[in-house]
Amino acid sequence: MNVTLAVKQYVSKMIESSGSGMKVLLMDKETTSIVSMVYTQSEILQKEVYLFERIDSQNRDNTKHLKAICFLRPTKENVQHLIQELRRPKYSVYFIYFSNVISKSEIKALAEADEQEVVAEVQEFYGDFIAVNPHLFSLNVQGVSRGRSWEPSVLPRVTQGLTSVLLSLKKCPMIRYQLSSDMSKRLAESVKQIITKEYELFDFRKTEVPPLLLILDRSDDAITPLLNQWTYQAMVHELLGINNNRIDLSRVPGISKELREVVLSAENDEFYANNLYLNFGEIGTNIKNLMEDFQKKKPKGQQKLESITDMKAFVDNYPQFKKMSGTVSKHVTVVGELSRLVSERQLMEVSEVEQELACQNDHSNAQQSVRRFLQNPRVNEIDAVRLVMLYALRYEKHSSSILPSLIEELTRRGVSERHRKMVQAVVEYGGKRVRGSDLITPTDAVSITKQFFKGLKGVENVYTQHQPLLHDTLDQLIKGRLKDSQFPYLGPNSLRDRPQDIIVFIIGGATYEEALAVYNLNRTMPGVRIVLGGTTVHNTKSFLEEVMLTVGSGGDRAQGSGRPPSRR
Amino acid sequence: MASIYQPSLEDSSEVKEGFLCPLCLKDLQSFYQLQDHFEEEHSGDNRHVSGQLKSLVQKAKRAKDKLLKRDGDERTESSYESFYYGGVDPYMWEPQELGATRSHLDAFKKHRAARIDHYVIEVNKCIIRLEKLTSFDRSNMDAAQIRSLEKSLVSWVNDQDVPFCPDCGAKFNIRNRRHHCRLCGSIMCRKCTDFVPLQLAYKLTTGTKEALYAPGTLGQRGSPGAQVAPQIPRRGSISSISSVTSVLEEKDDDRVRCCHHCMDALMRYQLKLEEKDHVPDIVKLYERLRTCMEKVEAKAPEYMHMAESLNAGETAFNLENAAGLRMEIQKYYELIDVLSKKILTLGLKDEVPPHPKALQLQKMVRYAATLFIQEKLLGLTSLPTKGKYEELKEKRKEEQVKRIQQEKQASLEAQKRRSENEKNCPALGVNGSVPGPRMTKAGGWLPQSGTRSELDDPLLQQIGNIESFLQQARLANRTDEVAMLEENLRQLQDEFDAQQTRRAIRISRKLAEETDLQQRQIEHLEQRELENKVHTKMASLDFRDNVQDEEQDGGDLVDHLSADLESKPTKFGNSPPVARNREEPTPQARNPFDAEDFSPVEEGATSSSSVEIKRENSHAANGKKEYNPFEEEEDAEDDLDAGTAKSQGNPFEDEDGDEDRGNPFKEVSDGNPAGSTNPFDEDDDASMDDMIEEELLLQQIDNIRAYMFDAKLNGRADEVELLSENLRELHRTLQEQKRKK
Repeated sequence: MNVTLAVKQYVSKMIESSGSGMKVLLMDKETTSIVSMVYTQSEILQKEVYLFERIDSQNRDNTKHLKAICFLRPTKENVQHLIQELRRPKYSVYFIYFSNVISKSEIKALAEADEQEVVAEVQEFYGDFIAVNPHLFSLNVQGVSRGRSWEPSVLPRVTQGLTSVLLSLKKCPMIRYQLSSDMSKRLAESVKQIITKEYELFDFRKTEVPPLLLILDRSDDAITPLLNQWTYQAMVHELLGINNNRIDLSRVPGISKELREVVLSAENDEFYANNLYLNFGEIGTNIKNLMEDFQKKKPKGQQKLESITDMKAFVDNYPQFKKMSGTVSKHVTVVGELSRLVSERQLMEVSEVEQELACQNDHSNAQQSVRRFLQNPRVNEIDAVRLVMLYALRYEKHSSSILPSLIEELTRRGVSERHRKMVQAVVEYGGKRVRGSDLITPTDAVSITKQFFKGLKGVENVYTQHQPLLHDTLDQLIKGRLKDSQFPYLGPNSLRDRPQDIIVFIIGGATYEEALAVYNLNRTMPGVRIVLGGTTVHNTKSFLEEVMLTVGSGGDRAQGSGRPPSRR
Repeated sequence: MASIYQPSLEDSSEVKEGFLCPLCLKDLQSFYQLQDHFEEEHSGDNRHVSGQLKSLVQKAKRAKDKLLKRDGDERTESSYESFYYGGVDPYMWEPQELGATRSHLDAFKKHRAARIDHYVIEVNKCIIRLEKLTSFDRSNMDAAQIRSLEKSLVSWVNDQDVPFCPDCGAKFNIRNRRHHCRLCGSIMCRKCTDFVPLQLAYKLTTGTKEALYAPGTLGQRGSPGAQVAPQIPRRGSISSISSVTSVLEEKDDDRVRCCHHCMDALMRYQLKLEEKDHVPDIVKLYERLRTCMEKVEAKAPEYMHMAESLNAGETAFNLENAAGLRMEIQKYYELIDVLSKKILTLGLKDEVPPHPKALQLQKMVRYAATLFIQEKLLGLTSLPTKGKYEELKEKRKEEQVKRIQQEKQASLEAQKRRSENEKNCPALGVNGSVPGPRMTKAGGWLPQSGTRSELDDPLLQQIGNIESFLQQARLANRTDEVAMLEENLRQLQDEFDAQQTRRAIRISRKLAEETDLQQRQIEHLEQRELENKVHTKMASLDFRDNVQDEEQDGGDLVDHLSADLESKPTKFGNSPPVARNREEPTPQARNPFDAEDFSPVEEGATSSSSVEIKRENSHAANGKKEYNPFEEEEDAEDDLDAGTAKSQGNPFEDEDGDEDRGNPFKEVSDGNPAGSTNPFDEDDDASMDDMIEEELLLQQIDNIRAYMFDAKLNGRADEVELLSENLRELHRTLQEQKRKK
């Protein structure tokens, strides 16, 4: 069930079966990201892969002493490029791997182009998704919907991505989907269709309890992606933006050249792996410890190495020291920038109100807080808009809603029209009319009591009181309490036992907060393994872009569906 | 260690008594045994916790646990009751097997085969026809003759059948005449024709490269670039021929007219021919690089194992062996470095700069090699020095003695506890002293196992128990039970006896093996010693005869060692002890630099052999048959420290040249043993310390160089500075040491 390893296994296998000798990895734009998420350059270099080329690049030399490993998505363009390549081969041997199902006719076309017999392997390796964490994958697709239905070109891609996840994990699941979302149903049917069509591929060893695929829609929970985050990974994404494990730090004041862009990968950064899900305070402590350790080890200029034993100690420590210095400078910079942003944007205070809006039911208090912040000149524009959005979503139908006056307040602050429009768009995207579940006001007695107790007891950490809706949905699913009327099965069969292997997919994108919730569920629920996926992984900014694309606010719709740099 | 697990011990104490291993719940008799057990059995679990980063990680983990625990508490009322009920961290999920795959290779091959057959036939047809077309002497025939001959070989398409050029669609008329492809007989216009130069034709038909350079075929064109050759006439055919020669009268003296399609097939065939026997330099170098890397991969773990064991003070390996292995591995690193550097600079001096991608490839290969060196070399643990090793050995011995004592004590304690227990038990009352008589029962008890507690054996315990039960039963007059217990007892005793016999056999066998092993080890040691002597040019007269006897062996070993490295094996081989050299040192001999000065040809590798020859000549009068150049170098190192230190100071700068002197690893290989077997200090206990220091120093120098190399590659100037500072310091110390002597 480990998606990172699933992709990594594929890539390792490709490299292994090409034998020894110098190799070049020939990829397209998407497979480049797929591979880069699971393999670092130095790791792949050790496997004798020395060059990384794009299949569509014209500037490739004839290097017959290289073996080419092609890992491509089976798109029309790629097949065309490959045919051209095989007609005039630039490398000695070609090992071709497609990341998804390829048609027979295209195989034929390729075979006919291979007049020089350079192709040694043609296979389908289903690594057609971005593995972010072992339990989190993304498809890096934005702008999935127009209004309430699929963007026509996106559905096939999402279906391919989702089926490739199933294939790489060797799961042939039962499918449940969110009834209130037509898109969920369409995707479920589309996936089912592929499973039926490629039944030979999905013929895996039957497990006692069949795996389950649950398809959800982002519009059911528009609040989670609007909140400020306080765990390391989520926070970095929210404030700096993570794009395929890369973080762009070029806008950090006084940044040194080599830290303009850093890579944060839990796979080979131990500090990051251990702090992914820790909150900001703890990371601060850990960073401090890391620094202190480093300082201890770092040989100072004045500190003469008097004796030979001193020197020996230094030399023995050197490799560790060297390894550490990279990690330290990277994380110190990132955490430093985070804390600068936190204080500059008064995010602690903002977040407190956000959490209050999201978790508590006290209208008069909420309206006062929001108003107060709108008048605070130090609060960032996007944060102000965000508060109003949360208020709008939360008290959409409240009898004494002050939304119009809040919007007026925004105008007075000089907030751009685009941002003001977004408030309406978010309500349109994830408002009450759209929602299938009760995101805000729990209806059943148990939840009400729970909420009541929570209110009585008070919370330990005001910044992390919010639990995403996904957590409750999954919890109910595991306990067998998820209502069939809201999340029906596709097809006649239904699961009687407690589910074991669950794949949740959120149309419209998942968030790192949800990834954390799933991580915790995995850690706490015995015998249950959950993998979370989304069309992308959102932070507030990218989510708002997604909302604008969906609602289609006319005028300034972003051009193209390529992923815009997700920075504040 | 056990104290950490105290809580768990308490938990289980109700069920099981005694010292239970917290991980496997195995009952162990004493605290010390538990400790030993824990160290041996579970050391892998958390033993690697070394270094500060790790401890930090643990701290972080603890912090995480704390956070989760708190979160858990917070959430207990909301969703689930227990946090520690066996969920699994996604990072700990069982290893992911390879996902589904599907191969299309069979279908692909099927389609390709059909196509390839067609293609191959076409090409072969072209080649065969070309051979026929070029088999006669064209220069002595006129155009018409050639034409008819060509026509007879390939049937030409009828002129009337083709009103338009099939390639470009131009209409044929009096100005735009039809031309026939000599290879397939098809028709095209002049613009669409190609020409196969005879030179190329010969080459294609013979299938070898020689034809290209064969004299006589084309005198004026000696162009080596094969791809250029066919293009020259083609260009001519379009421009010059149309303007100069008459359109009607074309005599193809040195070429064969053909269509684009045939030309295309031929060109591809030619390309294939060329690639078949062309191996670029980079591939050759790269293959050597890989073999070196593989050697390191194979040898490094062995060395690590040795070093670890030696550093722990164990005696399983020989220190010199390990040092030798270390040296060997370091030489491989050096070779990797040189080779990858060569790859990096490949083709840079050519007039035509290589394609940027080729350069990138070279850069990446170099980078990968650097990474390899960094990762493996920096992980190469250093060896203890001789003195340190002795200390370590002592320490370990002490520890072992202590442990044995502890165990003894533990067993005593256990015994005591046991008797106390039995005293406490009123039923047993009379029969307090249990262990005594049981010893006699254990007929096969062996002295070797004396250190073990007799109560260790579960069988013995069981026997004891049953005997006491028996006693009780007898006292209680329960005959049936007595009978049953007696039966049990008999069985147990039989089993125990059998076990003892087995053990005795095993132990005696092991003893035999051990003596055998010792024997072999002694032999091995002797051999190593000899090798070492040859290697370090031991100057002792006492060993001379011995060395001479075994010289060939030692030489072979060294040969073997250095042959792989392509360093000059002759240096070591056949070099007899050179002690006599030392007895009457000539002024020249003391300074190798002088020697090199007056014979400038000598450089690095060649120097040693040429010096050898020269010296041989010069010393012939003195009755010396052979001479070892390294003796000189060693002397020089003592005397000319300043000189060597200078060249050592910046070893990476002059690495490009292949001089041995500039080579840091090589340096060490010469320097290190020189320190340890300094002839003046031999058998001198007082100077032992100095010797060790020197050894250590040399090793340090070696290490620092490696780090410096690494730091330089990463462009960390401050570190380089610091390191070179250290290096200078070390050199100074080294010199002082030497001066003291």
